[in-house]
Amino acid sequence: MNKPKNDLLQGTLAMLVLKTLARGPTHGYGITLHIQMVSKDFLRVEEGSLYPALHRMEQDGWISAEWGTTENSRRARYYRLTSAGRKQLAEEEKNWERLTQAVAQVLRFA
Amino acid sequence: MSFIARLKGLLRSRRLDRELDEELRSHLEMRTADNLAAGMSPENARYEAQRRFGNTTLLKEDTRAVDIIGWLDECARDFRYALRVLQRSPGFTAVAILTLALGIGANTAVFSVINSVLLGPLPYHVPGGLVMVWESNSQHPNPHNTVSPPNFFDWQSRSTVFSSMAYIADVRNNLTGNGEPEEVVVQAVSANFFSLLGVNPILGPGFTTENGKAGHDNVVILDYGLWKERFAGDPAIVGKSILLNGKPQTVVGVAPQNFNWFIKDSSLTGAKPRIWSPFVFPQSFHDHKQIGRFLTVVARLKQGVTHSQAQAEMSAIAAQLEHEYPDFDGHWGVNVVPLRDQISGQLRPALLILFGAVAFVLLIACANVSSLLLARAASREREIAVRTAIGASRWRIARQLLMESLLLALIGGGIGVTLTVVGTNALLAASPRNLLDLTSVSIDLRLLAFAAGATLLAGLLFGFLPSYMSAHSQIAQTLREGGRGASPGKRSGFARSAFVVAQLSLALVLLAGSGLLIRSFVKLVGVNPGFDTGHLLTFKVTLPQSKYAKDPLLMAFFRQLLTRISTVPGVRSATMESFPPLMGLGSATGVHILSQPQQSLMDLPVANVRVVGPDYFSTMSIPLRSGRLFTEQEMAEEKHVTIVNQAFVDKYMNGLNPLGQKAAIYMKSFQENELKPSEIIGVVGDVRAMGLDVAAEPSVYWPYPELVMSGMTILVRTSNDPLAVVSGILAELQQLDREQPMASIVTMDQLLADSLSRAHFTMLLLGLFATFALVLAAVGTYGLIAYSVTQRIQELGIRIALGAQRRDVLRLVLGQGTRLTLLGLALGIAAALGITRLMTSLLFGTSPTDPLTFAGVAGLLVFVALLACFIPARRATRIDPIVALRYE
Repeated sequence: MNKPKNDLLQGTLAMLVLKTLARGPTHGYGITLHIQMVSKDFLRVEEGSLYPALHRMEQDGWISAEWGTTENSRRARYYRLTSAGRKQLAEEEKNWERLTQAVAQVLRFA
Repeated sequence: MSFIARLKGLLRSRRLDRELDEELRSHLEMRTADNLAAGMSPENARYEAQRRFGNTTLLKEDTRAVDIIGWLDECARDFRYALRVLQRSPGFTAVAILTLALGIGANTAVFSVINSVLLGPLPYHVPGGLVMVWESNSQHPNPHNTVSPPNFFDWQSRSTVFSSMAYIADVRNNLTGNGEPEEVVVQAVSANFFSLLGVNPILGPGFTTENGKAGHDNVVILDYGLWKERFAGDPAIVGKSILLNGKPQTVVGVAPQNFNWFIKDSSLTGAKPRIWSPFVFPQSFHDHKQIGRFLTVVARLKQGVTHSQAQAEMSAIAAQLEHEYPDFDGHWGVNVVPLRDQISGQLRPALLILFGAVAFVLLIACANVSSLLLARAASREREIAVRTAIGASRWRIARQLLMESLLLALIGGGIGVTLTVVGTNALLAASPRNLLDLTSVSIDLRLLAFAAGATLLAGLLFGFLPSYMSAHSQIAQTLREGGRGASPGKRSGFARSAFVVAQLSLALVLLAGSGLLIRSFVKLVGVNPGFDTGHLLTFKVTLPQSKYAKDPLLMAFFRQLLTRISTVPGVRSATMESFPPLMGLGSATGVHILSQPQQSLMDLPVANVRVVGPDYFSTMSIPLRSGRLFTEQEMAEEKHVTIVNQAFVDKYMNGLNPLGQKAAIYMKSFQENELKPSEIIGVVGDVRAMGLDVAAEPSVYWPYPELVMSGMTILVRTSNDPLAVVSGILAELQQLDREQPMASIVTMDQLLADSLSRAHFTMLLLGLFATFALVLAAVGTYGLIAYSVTQRIQELGIRIALGAQRRDVLRLVLGQGTRLTLLGLALGIAAALGITRLMTSLLFGTSPTDPLTFAGVAGLLVFVALLACFIPARRATRIDPIVALRYE
């Protein structure tokens, strides 16, 4: 199976989802919209990866989910960051910064 | 999992499904709504949303699999699918399951015997701490020699590694009163015997320390079976008296049902005990180093002491004793053997070989099923390609195929275990009576764990390669070829050929092992025992000392008995012997041939002493080589004469004429001046007394009056069925003494068969497994060749159309088979040459690399394999080119 080129790096998806949810609870579609918008269309979240990831994070206790209603009064499943998820996010952000710094340095000196 | 929990899981899985559906639908709807808002046509809006979603089913499966319930659900679905797939091809399924059932069943059966014999619990408290302590003489081969009482007492006082030591010696006694007189084996033991083993009687107090003192030892513990049979399980038996050899003994206990103590190597009676009685040695036995070696010794290691520590200390003690009593303990050391090794020692090599053999059978079965699966995978390529195209990952496909394999293995294993339960008990029923001390095999956890392990391992083993290959096949290509006439794939063809080669070589190893056993057995059976075993009845008569205290009484009794027996119709002649051939241990002692220099007792030539009755050599058909036989007078009174066997002459006479030589036989005393030397009057042929596979040992024969014994084995040569004269003989015996039983009635042919039983049984089983292996390998070869003919049908059709002769086609197809067969043969022979060396201890007069056997089994394998190739090859020659070219 060939994967699209702009597929998110393994592991970054979780971080982006957590970051998105840090702004407040939203549903799966809302998450894709937010990431796409904020990254100015550069990052596109595949639905095929998003939902398994959401359910995995829910199992891990990083996020919780409940049914709610959208502004257009549609039923949707809202995800909310838990305190464990907040810690996880802080951890991942720190790691990400270290990684990007390291990569940047290598690129500069290589 | 309880029913409720399962129900909950089911409900949860439903809810999970529903929620996921709804969540995804709302996502879709929101995207569609946004698309509409962005100005797309309704149709486009929906299509774009759908397209972004991609494979919804796959997405749902992936999401569901995050949850354990979802995952289990997937597996269950795979399982149901596998079941359907297998149902769709019943022929394949039946062959695969049958193959596996036999493979797993045979393994479980052999393991069940190993489980009971080598691993099963012994009926003693903490049996791991129990060891046998033997004497062993560096000049004699027997590493498990019985122990002399004074040495036992010295060990007991000097050793520090044992918390306690006990001795056992078995004798035959007549049990009278409470019904017919009966001869029973009584184990005379030290009073601490039961407490050392940690066994308490189910009734009564058992032996006390008091019973270990002289005058307090007339008590007995009964075997459970004896108590049930002879005393009808009398609950008030404790405190009652029984008559042993006419002397009253008080019952102080009944042993637990599963309790027994029988060490074949050291048993003087060769039979299991029915009664235990304490035996107290008089003081003279403690210090007088002139007593024979006849005790069995068991000891319990102190907590934390290892077997090698015990061995080291006992060897040191033996060295001290050797130094202190050179005449008595010269060359004698000590051998400490864990009880478990002692009990399983004889069967261990045979069982391990058989276990190896069935493991091979299972491997062959796995290779066979694996090969079948590969062939089947080739025809399922299209199905798998389609599944891959609609989004199944490699792992999913592999999992699906593995599930099918496991399902096959599970069904096969289930049937196999059922076969085991039925089969093993049939096997035990058919196995010779004295080979396995087992009447039934119980299904315990260890056995089930083994069967489950073998099943899973087999399933993974034969399922792995086919699933791996299918999962990695090239979909696009398969679909393009339309799954039609496609070559089966080089890799799969190669793997199948490799499987056939492996099967053939494994089968050859088994055939070689089995061939060697057969050849060895044929040689063994061909050995002349040195006497005629046909139409020969044997039984034991042991006269109680209380009634027959004096030699003349014993002599008179046996003379009358033999005379009376010879009048019974059907009896041709009757005689007796102290320790007849094929009946286990005898007595041996030092012999000083007077014309040779005097030596210390321990360095003298050793010979078996056999005490015989009148007409012994003629009744047994043992040929006289030179000199003469005993006269009637020599049978009536002590005349100091002896007859020796050929082995004695060969080993000890240094080419001198033995006739007329005098020899001091150290039987009645260890002081030569107390011995009357015997004159050698004759030489007779050798008798293989310890079994056909053991060379005859030097022996001296004494007429009965030279050494009057109270227990003798009567030997009766009959004209027809030996067992038919038993009742006539019993009547004569009881006219002489109403209380005297006939014991251990058995024919010599039966004893001979028993002595061959281990070799026979091993040969039969290994032969069975080898046949099974050969058949499986042949089926595997046939399957491969037949399949490749089917695959090549168009090619062959074209060849025939272009003028290829039958012979050419035959050669083409057979060539492929021959190459595989020869490769398998070469690998198999190489492996067998390495492996059969492990069987050396099971072989008699046959080298583990016997060229004739190897040539024979190689020929057999080639013949069968080529036969398996020939059938499809002949079919190939009959291909109608027109049909073949149209064939799809």
